[in-house]
Amino acid sequence: MKLLKDKVAKLSFVALLAASSAAMLYTPTAAAHGEKSQAAFMRMRTIHWFDLNWSKEEVKVNDTMTVTGKFLVFAGWPETVDKPEVSFLNVGIPGPVFIRQGSWIGGQLVPRSVSLELGETYEFKVLLKARRPGDWHVHSMMNVQGGGPIIGPGKWTTITGSMKDFVNPVTTLTGETINLETYNLDNTYFWHALWYAIGLAWLAYWVRKPMFVPRSIAVESGKANTLITSTDRKVGVGFLVGTIAIVAMTMVSTNEKYPVTTPLQAGLLRGMKTFEMPAKTVTVKVEDATYRVPGRAMQMTLKITNNGDSAVRLGEFNTASVRFLDPAVLEDTTGYPDDLLAEEGLTVSDNSPLKPGQTRTVQVTASDAAWEVYRLADLIYDPDSRFAGLLFFFDENGKRQMITVDAPLIPVFI
Amino acid sequence: MSASQSAVRSRAEAVKVSRTFDWMILFTLFFVVLGGYHIHYMLTGGDWDFWTDWKDRRLWVTVAPIVSITFPAAVQACLWYRYRLPYGAVVCILGLLLGEWVNRYLNFWGWTYFPVNFVFPSQLVPGAIALDVILMLSGSMTLTAVAGGMAWGLLFYPGNWPVIAPLHVPVEYNGMMMTLADLQGYHYVRTGTPEYIRMVEKGTLRTFGKDVAPVSAFFSGFVSIIIYFLWHFFGRWFASTAFVEGENV
Repeated sequence: MKLLKDKVAKLSFVALLAASSAAMLYTPTAAAHGEKSQAAFMRMRTIHWFDLNWSKEEVKVNDTMTVTGKFLVFAGWPETVDKPEVSFLNVGIPGPVFIRQGSWIGGQLVPRSVSLELGETYEFKVLLKARRPGDWHVHSMMNVQGGGPIIGPGKWTTITGSMKDFVNPVTTLTGETINLETYNLDNTYFWHALWYAIGLAWLAYWVRKPMFVPRSIAVESGKANTLITSTDRKVGVGFLVGTIAIVAMTMVSTNEKYPVTTPLQAGLLRGMKTFEMPAKTVTVKVEDATYRVPGRAMQMTLKITNNGDSAVRLGEFNTASVRFLDPAVLEDTTGYPDDLLAEEGLTVSDNSPLKPGQTRTVQVTASDAAWEVYRLADLIYDPDSRFAGLLFFFDENGKRQMITVDAPLIPVFI
Repeated sequence: MSASQSAVRSRAEAVKVSRTFDWMILFTLFFVVLGGYHIHYMLTGGDWDFWTDWKDRRLWVTVAPIVSITFPAAVQACLWYRYRLPYGAVVCILGLLLGEWVNRYLNFWGWTYFPVNFVFPSQLVPGAIALDVILMLSGSMTLTAVAGGMAWGLLFYPGNWPVIAPLHVPVEYNGMMMTLADLQGYHYVRTGTPEYIRMVEKGTLRTFGKDVAPVSAFFSGFVSIIIYFLWHFFGRWFASTAFVEGENV
């Protein structure tokens, strides 16, 4: 029995060592930003990102790239998420692997938070400068106060070179050009080291003498007042006066060295310029919509009316940044991320050109593994089981118009 | 050796044991305080201490001293009542700053590559020396709370100014004016810390023009007095010894 116990103990110890080693040695890279975990309704019914373009797939340290595109602030914004009255255009990257050299909405620089209007479309651009080598997933992103980060599509981008070569030159209004990457660093180290040394000196003064046991005995026996000597008081006064003197003198000398300083800048930018989409001549009514769980397909019955003067066809359904295309109408040539692109994912029961003045009811099916991979199917577990997305119609001249759809979704389990 | 016999056989041996005991307690105290105080300060001071674009003239000056006077007050009370040792505040701050620097250097820089000139901690040593010396000279926790607490609040901003001022130099950037600290916050992307989370330059001190930092520092000093009182009671309670009658055990 004892032999058995010993063996179990030994094996347990070996297993513990193996588990610890595995946990320490196996550290896979975090590959993305958890966008798949974000509630499906958040991605479908808040910010719709489209026309995204990443200017480069590979960039050297110190070189720049842009992420451009448009986003629609969905009019059917869910009640459970705060409205985007205070929002911030961000990028989803793993820390400062790029620096954000600029970000614009409607041509205006947006280093601060902005107020967005429901139902409006905005054009954006983010200028990134490569800093840290590696393969990074670069997302567009909108932070919404009370709503959290609403992440857009991401694309893998490679940064080559060495981070040691990275520089971030900035010219101040006082005419000095500095490297923001290392600016003020020596000064910071110096002051922290100096004050730490002064603190250590104060501590050293006391720890050189017997501390806890004899002093405790003295305090317990009513001799506490004898423990602080006149020398201690003089040294203490010296430290206090010295501290105040250093603080006062450095305050003055710092003000002389930096006569022009301003407070931190903060505030909300309102009245952002919106992007005018082409006039809509197509109307769409969602008759019903179902999600067939086993088939990973969403089916909509749409009643489409063409009020324009050119025949149109449905080319794309875009929801939560996943693009379902009808290849007979539209092929992607922008290099959109493969995992978010269902090139043959859109099927329309009758996608022949819809002539001007004509109305047609069609069955539209958006099917792709992306429903599962991007956890959009989890929509059926949301408290407000609705779907939303963008439909893109194309006329005979290739002109595009965008129609939003927003309707209840019924899951089909069998 | 019976229970009534001493563990040491000479005065020299007693002194040696006592000093060994001193170093063991100080070492333990330093790292226990480092751990507890560090967590407390990260949870309460948090972003105001993490990022230079949070270190403003109003809220940083107000919040950081108020939330950081806690452990110094408690440890001072403990060390003063039991040992008449006036270094409680300094030992706390040295522990905190060591922890903060390890965190900023290894985590913020070494792990996530934020430049150190963007994420260095606030300076708290001047206020700690003032607290300890005032306690030693006065021998009064009340006077230390009032004079020391106020000094703690007042010394914070000027004590940090030599490091912060260079980052408040203005810059024109694509048609907007910012400080270099603002620009750091904008350049070095924080996915989970959007701009609107920043609590800076908010308040109603509109009649003081550009001189809001001294007003904020005074307010911070007043509240620090109250927090000192509260936390010094924690220290006294922690330092108390309660003996229980045998039959009640």
